[in-house]
Amino acid sequence: MTEPVLRVENLSKGFPGLQALDGVSIEINSHEVVGLIGENGAGKSTLLKVLAGLYPADQGRILLRGRETSFRSVAAAADAGIGLVFQEQSLLPNVSVAENILLGYEGEAVRFGLYDWRSLYRLAAVQLDKLGSKIPPDAATQSLSFADRQIVEFAKVLAIEERTRHEPVILLDEPTSVLESEEVDRIIALIKRLRERASVVFVSHRLDEVLRVSDRVYVMTNGRCVAERDPRHCDVAELQQLMLGRELSIAYDNRSARPSAAPDNVRLRVRDLSQAGRYEGISFDLRGGEVLGLAGVQGSGRDALCRTLFGAESADSGQFLIDGAFVRFENPADAVEAGVGYVPAERRVEGIIGGLSVKENMTLAHLREVMRGPFIDPRREGNLAARWIDRLRIKTPSPKTPTGNLSGGNQQKVVLTKWLIAKDLKILVLDHPMRGLDVGAKAEIFTLIHDLARSGIGILLIADTLEELIALSDTIVVMRDGRISGRFQSSEPPTQLQILERMV
Amino acid sequence: MAVDVRSQFEEEPSAIHPDRVKRSPRLRAAFGRLAPLAVLIALLAALGSFAPSFLSLYSLRVLAGESSAILLLAIGQTLVILLGGIDLSMGALASLASVLIAIALPKAGALGLLGVLALTMLIGAGQGFVNAKAQIASFVVTLAGLGLWSGAALTIAHTTIPVSEGYEAVGWLKGRIFGVPNAFAFSVATLLALAAALRWLPFGRHVYAIGLGEVAAILSGIHVARVKVLAYALSGLFAGLTGMLMVARTYSGNPTIADSLLLPSIAAVVVGGTAITGGYGSLQRTLVGALTIAVLRVGIAVVGLDPAYEPIAYGVLVAGGVALTIDRSKTGIVK
Repeated sequence: MTEPVLRVENLSKGFPGLQALDGVSIEINSHEVVGLIGENGAGKSTLLKVLAGLYPADQGRILLRGRETSFRSVAAAADAGIGLVFQEQSLLPNVSVAENILLGYEGEAVRFGLYDWRSLYRLAAVQLDKLGSKIPPDAATQSLSFADRQIVEFAKVLAIEERTRHEPVILLDEPTSVLESEEVDRIIALIKRLRERASVVFVSHRLDEVLRVSDRVYVMTNGRCVAERDPRHCDVAELQQLMLGRELSIAYDNRSARPSAAPDNVRLRVRDLSQAGRYEGISFDLRGGEVLGLAGVQGSGRDALCRTLFGAESADSGQFLIDGAFVRFENPADAVEAGVGYVPAERRVEGIIGGLSVKENMTLAHLREVMRGPFIDPRREGNLAARWIDRLRIKTPSPKTPTGNLSGGNQQKVVLTKWLIAKDLKILVLDHPMRGLDVGAKAEIFTLIHDLARSGIGILLIADTLEELIALSDTIVVMRDGRISGRFQSSEPPTQLQILERMV
Repeated sequence: MAVDVRSQFEEEPSAIHPDRVKRSPRLRAAFGRLAPLAVLIALLAALGSFAPSFLSLYSLRVLAGESSAILLLAIGQTLVILLGGIDLSMGALASLASVLIAIALPKAGALGLLGVLALTMLIGAGQGFVNAKAQIASFVVTLAGLGLWSGAALTIAHTTIPVSEGYEAVGWLKGRIFGVPNAFAFSVATLLALAAALRWLPFGRHVYAIGLGEVAAILSGIHVARVKVLAYALSGLFAGLTGMLMVARTYSGNPTIADSLLLPSIAAVVVGGTAITGGYGSLQRTLVGALTIAVLRVGIAVVGLDPAYEPIAYGVLVAGGVALTIDRSKTGIVK
């Protein structure tokens, strides 16, 4: 057997309070796509970052083409032929595509310290051609769609090829996690194309994609590599089971377990709400115990509508009532006061404050719950945090741990707790609550949403996929071009196609 | 690629920079926390060995008195810096306050003093309001303020205004309590009171939350504008208190008397280890920082260096202090 391009032996990496990698060994062969799966916090991202030179390993060896290496920086890893495509895009929005692709390695495209634009564009076009992309190298990066920017990221990594005489090893950290499905197909096709020129490590939470694109799959849990599978003899259920180490007990369709909402208890009544250019004439009722799913493509107005209901934007006309009383929100603070909670899509920027501790994030919106007179009572705060950490099984070394140190699913639980501690929570707006979460965390958040609804809160939901939306919602309101284009009840659940027809 | 790195550290279960030198993270954190204090003690020890009389009761008393004005300014500055902003107007506002107090004391006595303090607080609040509501960077708002209040002070008084009457309303600052200059005791007392407020009042929690993540703070229903206005109002008030101290010290008001204190007061905050990017730091740290700056000022005189070296020393201390104490993984990109 030939020597693998990249061999990782017994790699370990610890952080304070957490052993992220605990003796991982994997191999990547030439022209192979290796899938890497595992729950959030299993160590996938850390492994990639060690390989890409972002973190030094504590123990273990990395052999690249048979030679032991350790990289002191991303640049060093790139020079050796290992490139990482980050989970969050890292392009500079305000410069051209070509500049991004060749950033730091302009080579012959710089003459006398100045860009030679023609050769810059030509060199960039070489990389884009490898991917069969038609993106013009002189396009402004910020004008591209998310999927196109992802292609530019790929092209940037492929540029490594010219610098090393070897084919590169490309590490992809969840390149598809925030894409819509047709865009996912494009990226998958690209990864298959990458295989002709490189070895690829592909990390994703979407197991079906991993199965589609990978030649081999490694499963990680708790910083170890626990299984290796051949996608041809394996299915999603088996992978899930391997990841969780248990049968996935929560299927998406457990709607029957939920009592139907009492029809008289309308928590939110929206009447003829309009905002110029965003949405128009929106009317619906949200009852206590009901999950109302909002379907619609980007720009359909559903996001603006949600933000309006939380006071982050204001409506031009129309009105809404909470528990029968007219409300008018100048800002989110008014909405919080009125008993509305909001779980934003951008968890790390809008949901949590990474530098504040878990307990401080939990009490941020409702400090009153842990105050004694005018003062914050540290004991009450600590107790409350401990209770919720226990109740939602939040994995954290302590309530004082900075929230930024937790995995995505646990961060999301902290965001939910922020609203759940309120005694009078009436409405909860969930904007992509499962975004970027792994199967296990999704299942937990899923159950949590059900439990919440049962407690009498009205829940307004925007989901990542139609499948999730259908599984979670009692009522589905579809929006198109700012107007409501369809309504469905869970008594006769719609198919994805039926919803889609009303969306576009 | 350096710019790419930042976002990568936020979700990862590490609060540490990928330092290549292996060092216990806990030790490192403790080092970062204690470094400012160590610098202060080292500085004191060095000066003490150079000139043993420096550590005498008398010179320590002088030192304490010397640090009071900077400390007062630095307290207000700390609040604004914790929010992620900066207040460049404080020195000018303190000068203006000294002029107004010198004018008000003979006419209205203590009441006049309180009026001036209320006015500086209002001015600070106004700057905060413009910053928060008009979304103009604190740097710009307070730079404009610096020009405005300086100009106002010079327009009202072209030169020093001696306090002819009513000095007793500020004179108490010249006294001593248990051998400690009242001015210093007063500054430290206000610092401790405010530190307690930061710790136990929602206001404090909100200041840190805004400094660390303003968007999340807004979406958590925090009245961000209100918190900012209050913080800037307090920084205005502390500028006013500094003006009061200056009047007590010089028996007069002067339109430029506190201008030169702006840089050392910002240096005090930073040298204490409060992150200039907001969210990390404390008033306790500012106390250490202000003492360090004062030791430096007095030390330069003791050692017999040209006072012109003073600002150079601030510059070195600011850069060095930041380099030593800041936790880079938490601040990310530097602009």
